Amino acid sequence: MKLLRQTLLLLRKDLLLELRRHESLMTMFFFGALLLFVFNFSFELTPARVSELAPGLLWLAFLFTGTLGLTQLFEGERGNHCLDALLMSPIDRGALFLAKTCFNIVLMGLVELVVMPLFWILFSLPSWQPLPALFLIVFLGNVGFCVLGTILAAVTLKARARELLLPLVLFPLMVPVILATIRCMEALLRFGELGEALPWLRLLIGFDVIFLTVGILIFDWVVDV
Amino acid sequence: MRITVHQLAKAYGYFWALRDLEIQVGGGERVALLGPNGAGKTTLLNLLAGLIYPTRGEIRLDGVPLTRQSNAQRAAIGLLSPGEHLYDDLTARENLEFFTALYDRQRGPISIANAIEETLEAVGLGRWAGEYAGALSSSMKCRLSVAKWKLLSPKLLLLDEPYGVLDGGGVDLLESFLKAQSEQGSVVIIASHHVARVLDLCTRAIILEQGKLIFDETRREPWDSFARAFGAFTPGGNR
Repeated sequence: MKLLRQTLLLLRKDLLLELRRHESLMTMFFFGALLLFVFNFSFELTPARVSELAPGLLWLAFLFTGTLGLTQLFEGERGNHCLDALLMSPIDRGALFLAKTCFNIVLMGLVELVVMPLFWILFSLPSWQPLPALFLIVFLGNVGFCVLGTILAAVTLKARARELLLPLVLFPLMVPVILATIRCMEALLRFGELGEALPWLRLLIGFDVIFLTVGILIFDWVVDV
Repeated sequence: MRITVHQLAKAYGYFWALRDLEIQVGGGERVALLGPNGAGKTTLLNLLAGLIYPTRGEIRLDGVPLTRQSNAQRAAIGLLSPGEHLYDDLTARENLEFFTALYDRQRGPISIANAIEETLEAVGLGRWAGEYAGALSSSMKCRLSVAKWKLLSPKLLLLDEPYGVLDGGGVDLLESFLKAQSEQGSVVIIASHHVARVLDLCTRAIILEQGKLIFDETRREPWDSFARAFGAFTPGGNR
């Protein structure tokens, strides 16, 4: 209960600060939309080809916008040494990890709520039916991305070129999440159901659960590095 | 609260900021931590606050080694660095609400809200309770830092150059708060270059020079003798 209370307290503070600063969300949203426009101008795709390429293109956009969010994740705490204030306080470090992870999931979710329908419009995809199920898959992918991303954002916090270092460390480790999400999205777009992609969904859920647990347990040491 | 610093040393690369420090401080003491720039005052405060780890030696709080993993120990320590550790985009009131909730100093929603309002009034920020901390002047931010630790009331209060840009009223406010804290049994350690001012306030003085302890004496009456002894260790220093 205490962990949950502390998580909500920190998350509320982060959302309030974002609401007032408009730093991460606007940048992520415009960058995501810009990428879709670039894809649209670059590829002359038939509707059949779009269904094949949509998962990959969408995830490329989400990866880049999500990484933007991750690089900003602890920036709000840098001013006035507020991170030191948090680390000195008696909160459970797991709560700090959960709050930062949830914060980035919320930001990515909000960006995707706009970017995915925009993709459908730009590429004139025939059916909007798979969209709700796709959101669910993308949400699971977001969880995996943000969980691992938050751990690595904390690890690279004191590095000089952390904006460059973070994607270099993060992307190779994200391969299972990227593959699983893309396979699930492909199956949904082609056949309207998961079918043979079910093992990928299990992998995705397993990844989320394992790294969420690991994150809560190790964040104490991670932020102390 | 009893603090024991044993064989404490801290190195940054090849540079030793602190070397083999031995200090014991008991509850109710107000300690002036003095010394020239680079003497190791801030390093010692950061070590006591648990923000950095010692290279050698240890710090014990009431006999228990200080670790960053202990929530109970962290709850007992406060670091007052004027204007720092506050969110610029939260109002003065929101900052205090956030930190009191973070330190779990709950007294029921109404009484905590009242306590925050009273504390803001007491530090002269009642009219600015709804202003963003970033919009406050440096002096007001110092007062907000005081308000924060007044509410949280830690057993070990560390202060790094607390006078900052405080005006006369602010200094009186800070000093009466520090006296009240130590009278309640808290340990107060103040690192400052305002030597005359902190000597007047503190019951003990510690001088560091190049990371070494060169003077540690409890205040004796008459105060002049202590000041003379102190003066011998700071030739040409800021007095």
